[in-house]
Amino acid sequence: MSELAIRRGAAPALEIAGLGYAYPRAAASALRDVSVEISPGEFVLLAGRSASGKSTLLKAACGLAPHFHGGEIEGAVTVAGRDAIESGPGELAAAVGYVAQDPETQVVSTTVAAEIELPLEMRGDADSDRARAVEEVALALAIPHLLGRTVDTLSGGELQRVALAAALVTRPSLVLLDEPTSQLDPVAGDELIWLLRRLNEEWGVAVLLAEHRLERCLAAADRVIAMDAGRITFDGPPGDFLAWSHVSDTALTTPAARLFSLAGIEPLPVGVRQARSLLESRGRGEGEGVGSPPGAHPLRGGGGRPLASTRKVAEFAGRGPDPLSATASLIASDLWVEMVRNDEPRDVLRGIDLRLGRGERVALMGRNGAGKSTLLKTAAGLIEPVRGKVEVPGGMALLTQNPGDYLVRERVGDELPGEAGAAALRAVGLEHAADADPRDLSGGERQRLALAIALAGQMEGERLPGLVALDEPTRGMDRGRKDELVELIGDLAARGAGVVVATHDVEFASAFADRVVLLGDGVVIADGPAREVLSGGWYFATEVARVLDLPGVVTPEQGAAALRGEGPG
Amino acid sequence: MRSPFAYTPRPGPLQAASPGAAVAYLGALTAVAFLFSNPLVLAAAGIGAGLAGRLAGAWSAVRAAIRLGLAIALPIVIVNALVVNRGQTVLARLGDWPLLGQVDVTAEALADGAVFGLRAVVVMIAFAVYSACVDPDRVLRALRPFAGRSALTATLVSRLVPVAAADAGRLRDAARLRGPGAAEAGRAPLARRLLAGSLDRAVDVAATLELRGYSLEPRRRPHRRRLAEGLWGREDPKPFGRASRFDLRFYLAGAVVLGAAIAAKALGADDFGAYPTIAVGFDPATLALSALLVLSGLTPLRRRPRRRRV
Repeated sequence: MSELAIRRGAAPALEIAGLGYAYPRAAASALRDVSVEISPGEFVLLAGRSASGKSTLLKAACGLAPHFHGGEIEGAVTVAGRDAIESGPGELAAAVGYVAQDPETQVVSTTVAAEIELPLEMRGDADSDRARAVEEVALALAIPHLLGRTVDTLSGGELQRVALAAALVTRPSLVLLDEPTSQLDPVAGDELIWLLRRLNEEWGVAVLLAEHRLERCLAAADRVIAMDAGRITFDGPPGDFLAWSHVSDTALTTPAARLFSLAGIEPLPVGVRQARSLLESRGRGEGEGVGSPPGAHPLRGGGGRPLASTRKVAEFAGRGPDPLSATASLIASDLWVEMVRNDEPRDVLRGIDLRLGRGERVALMGRNGAGKSTLLKTAAGLIEPVRGKVEVPGGMALLTQNPGDYLVRERVGDELPGEAGAAALRAVGLEHAADADPRDLSGGERQRLALAIALAGQMEGERLPGLVALDEPTRGMDRGRKDELVELIGDLAARGAGVVVATHDVEFASAFADRVVLLGDGVVIADGPAREVLSGGWYFATEVARVLDLPGVVTPEQGAAALRGEGPG
Repeated sequence: MRSPFAYTPRPGPLQAASPGAAVAYLGALTAVAFLFSNPLVLAAAGIGAGLAGRLAGAWSAVRAAIRLGLAIALPIVIVNALVVNRGQTVLARLGDWPLLGQVDVTAEALADGAVFGLRAVVVMIAFAVYSACVDPDRVLRALRPFAGRSALTATLVSRLVPVAAADAGRLRDAARLRGPGAAEAGRAPLARRLLAGSLDRAVDVAATLELRGYSLEPRRRPHRRRLAEGLWGREDPKPFGRASRFDLRFYLAGAVVLGAAIAAKALGADDFGAYPTIAVGFDPATLALSALLVLSGLTPLRRRPRRRRV
């Protein structure tokens, strides 16, 4: 318990002792002997791979498990002095707020004001109290302009803020968040994390945040709890967590920590600011300028050698001329697409000119609503352009955001019959799963099966269609699954398909892409080698790029090479 | 794409009025449509409701309602013309039809069907204006003390319908994106998938409702206790939602329309008969009521704020 909490004599915001939990009809327990205590005002990050028990722990802390989901529970869960196993989620609502991953299913009212007011109404608060509480939480989350809107007109980021407001309006002492940024673009994601930190500091609300993209929120956390197979495997400060993850589970480490680790620099930094500060202090030791803006002076790498910061971008450009990429996989010329949003027609794509080659690995990036999905759907023929044209000379397979939408039968072989189906299964490495039920496959396998369904019949023998497009494929994925996807994309590109992936995940983009196309409000605002585009900004830049601020340096490996004075190439 | 009937918050008197006041006003126009058969009165009620929608900023809802109402009215007119042989003005003799026998299309049967259709159009317009202008959250809030479970069901359905519609759109897209070598998605598997997805969604929405405190015992809800003390008790004089300064206007308009309709009926207005020949009355009571109905459409009119010179 923190000193502040002890001085105040406050009860822990959350106290869990010997918690075990199994979902109904589950073969194994989702939580095993979990004991943890969160003090009032703490900001705790919950890390772990997929299915490690993070979401279940959050559900147990707010009473959904077992009150809503059923199942068997043992041990004790106490939220602000109240027994969460005895009390239901509604009774705990005053003490704990919960925000889930999908903002769509977290709103139950028509208007934003009514949505935020609902918990207070259910509690029986007076009209005047409700009005004031709604106003205050709306101001705190910077959404007073949304109060009069209907929820179906909000963007994902706005909807997530509304869900957070509804969770906070009762002024709980603890707020639980289950991957709240997984569907947000980097800008909205960063805004949400820092908003949480501000609320944590100003309101004193304790935060328990489950996230996969640790680089996004580690610097905001006071403490990290790591889970694996339903057990707590680490509980300590962020710096210690990085040291632990470096040894015990590298999938949980951050790019900046990997950069330092590869460069042999210690301690491992918990965020961009600390990383820069550590590098600058190394430079200071060598008598370099202090307090200068990053990139304004040569930083010092391992061994105190100067960084290769003077190299021009062109030297780090992606793939050179390649006969395969000379064959076009997508050609968009003066492409305009109009769609109706909020009762008003709006140009979602505005005169896009774009050419992608076969064998290219392209990341299509941009904020929510920038036009990424619309561009892919237009190329796939789902949307008619109002002007211009888009061609996919060698055919196209598009995997949309929800792979589950493609799976409508109960046997993989029934989804993909015949030789064409078998070829598609072979193309994604699932030939062994023809007799399996799609629901029994892992998340990554389901995604590959959906891709095979999109590919089936478009292949000549083992030859892939000209363009394979994936729309936001990494939502909710842990690092391990992302690495598998990077491999699959590399394989598809090596076999001659142009691969374009719409993604918000800059680290993932840096891992697979050799070219990045950045859209902003329906126009291409940047198009170039991944190393150049992902190192040339702030929001659409990798953590390593933000730390080093060197042109063409985006991955930990490139950064470590630069720190060793070898140049990023 | 949003439905034209979906509620859209706008700064107008009808939107600001409590659901009870809006229902009283639009309900009175709907009641007239059921009480009267005179096409002049029905047309006046339709114009009144449409004008109200226009002034409330719900013109797209009114237009959609007219289109939908006409789509409903047309089959009514056709079916009535085919199955009713009454009337002296035969327009066409269509001979013997199976089940229907001798089919003669008469002007009277057409007019009778048109009156039924017109009634449907008026009801559709009034409902469209209600749907586009009255905040469903306030309606549900007003219903909760009386019928908690029904309000819960309505909340779930009102949230799940747009979510399921979005899911259906995604599933349709995914079905179109299946490669030519994959098995066709098929209507039945898609429907099964949509149903399963909707059930998952319903569980998520229900979990959110739990977290918002929907499952709290009624004793924890002072609102309900206050209602038990008397609907118009001192502590909560407005159980139908927060009052608006426009409430009185709409309650009054509703009462005047309904009172005038009953008085006109008593005075012998609504003189309409389709058979054996078409007879439409234009007596003073009918004309006065029709004028009143059209004028009632001005109720949502918002006065322009006076400019002040500084």
